[in-house]
Amino acid sequence: MSARIRRSEAAPVSALAAGGHRPVEVSLLGLIEHAELGDSPYRIDADGAPYVPAGDGGIVLGLRLGDSVFALFGDHAAPGACLTHPVEAARHALALYCCIGNEAVVRTGAAAGARGAVIGKRGENGRVIAGFRAGDLARMRPGDQVSVRSRGQGVRPGWLPASLTALNIDPGLLAGLPVSADQDDTLDVAVRLVVPARMAGNGLGRPAHSWDLDLQLASGQGAAEDALLLGDLVAVTDLDARYNMGYRRDWVTIGVAVHGSSPLPGHGPGITPILTGPRHALRVREDSTGHVGLTESMLGLQ
Amino acid sequence: MKVVTNSARLVTQVLTGEVWPALADRHGYRVGPDGQPFVLPGMGGMTLGVHCGDPATGYAADHLEPGASIRHRDHAANGAVQFLSCVGNQVRLESGPAAGQVGHVIGQHAYVLADFPGPVGTRITTGDAVTITATGQGLRLAEHPAIVVKNCSPGLIDAMPGGTGADGRLEVHVAARVPAEAIGAGVGMISEYANTDLMGAYPGLGDDLSLGLESLRVGDVVALADQDHRYGRGYRPGYVTIGVISTGSCLLFGHGPGPSTLMSGPAGAFALVDDPLANLASWYHDDQEGHP
Repeated sequence: MSARIRRSEAAPVSALAAGGHRPVEVSLLGLIEHAELGDSPYRIDADGAPYVPAGDGGIVLGLRLGDSVFALFGDHAAPGACLTHPVEAARHALALYCCIGNEAVVRTGAAAGARGAVIGKRGENGRVIAGFRAGDLARMRPGDQVSVRSRGQGVRPGWLPASLTALNIDPGLLAGLPVSADQDDTLDVAVRLVVPARMAGNGLGRPAHSWDLDLQLASGQGAAEDALLLGDLVAVTDLDARYNMGYRRDWVTIGVAVHGSSPLPGHGPGITPILTGPRHALRVREDSTGHVGLTESMLGLQ
Repeated sequence: MKVVTNSARLVTQVLTGEVWPALADRHGYRVGPDGQPFVLPGMGGMTLGVHCGDPATGYAADHLEPGASIRHRDHAANGAVQFLSCVGNQVRLESGPAAGQVGHVIGQHAYVLADFPGPVGTRITTGDAVTITATGQGLRLAEHPAIVVKNCSPGLIDAMPGGTGADGRLEVHVAARVPAEAIGAGVGMISEYANTDLMGAYPGLGDDLSLGLESLRVGDVVALADQDHRYGRGYRPGYVTIGVISTGSCLLFGHGPGPSTLMSGPAGAFALVDDPLANLASWYHDDQEGHP
């Protein structure tokens, strides 16, 4: 505990060992994204029907953690504001280093001073999803600056079984999720839904530290799938997310559902991976009715 | 393939491109399935010594692109090159020592990929200009309305064995069948561009990575289980997608040998026949000198 660092609002990073090294926090600047479309308004859904995508980036109002991933007729709609950076390399850094639970503070615009938190990230060119209180979010506009106090990548909680890897999660947040370490070097995790590898979609073969993984789920597939809420933990079997995301038999990856469904083939509700490891050390319990994952109260967004 | 098509009504367009350089970044290394760093060639340029019919895996390569990797310098023109070029289309060299020689499109990746006979390939390099005679998009099989065909030249359809069977299904010969779990990078993308990387084909690595796909060959016609590529690329139980392996060895995790899409439809619309000769090598490049 010699490396004890306490900040006024932040959880004590010193509670965690990072391979013997002291974790580093870096303040990063994100700009609230403007929604973007190409020359054609249409995308083509899985059944071949054209549709106009709404909600794919930028600020989305009226969607919160705890809402169904199928609540809106949108395309990858995320609960909050998406952050990017105009410089490509800085944008990649933003997407790589921000972790779920990191504090986000609005620096400019009508909501300056408002505090929120990172609730996930998305792939392609890199986006960080930041959640805010509804009243604050309503006063924001694209281009507003948001500072994120990033920390978490490379941090390894001391209680984490040796064969597991944590990623994309603030060190102070993981223990607040429904995970519990056992004496036999295993971790029990409660999730809303267990999904087989064949349902994994866009995000396969991409770096797990900066992309989300879309699950090829549509509403009406089944009661368990329909119960999926934003913020829920989801397990994907036979998926390794230590580096890129890909198939590995008898492996499990846990992610947080961070954005809603998509009509695009190969897309769907997305998870940001937070834990990955062999099945024998990462024991998953599916609870389709009573599960509580990442919540607004956990992030101080209520 | 004995099947009624609308080939007489298809448009043929003359497109141009050039052999694109291999690209890298200054950090060099990428990461394999077990965290192993690697620096391996494969993408871009003119890749020698690997042709249709050769093993797709087993090379010290990543995203191996057999033959010439072609694109157009102009973004919009490149869109036409990538979306309209079809497997089996003729590619003619317009500059360099191999000018006048021809090869064929074997698929798309981030580039249009063209295989040339071995002696021709050694005379091709980055920057050589090519002409692609593009035809095939819009191809329809009149007796099989549930099957969407794309990226497939009428000549390839003619050359493939099989066709409309007595029971009304489309007989397609395939060299391998691919389980849904193997689908990797490329899922969720459009199916007129690039291809679908198949995981589970990392020879020499752990058994827990294998899905039995280590023996795929470049040019193999394969069937992807539960994949719907009619309007993009996604999982749909009960559908089948037919593709042709256009890229080979990968060490990057979540990637692997990749089929470019040829056909997609409900499984019941197809009668698949396992046939190890279902490979582009059976139908193209009998002429080893590459004469038109």
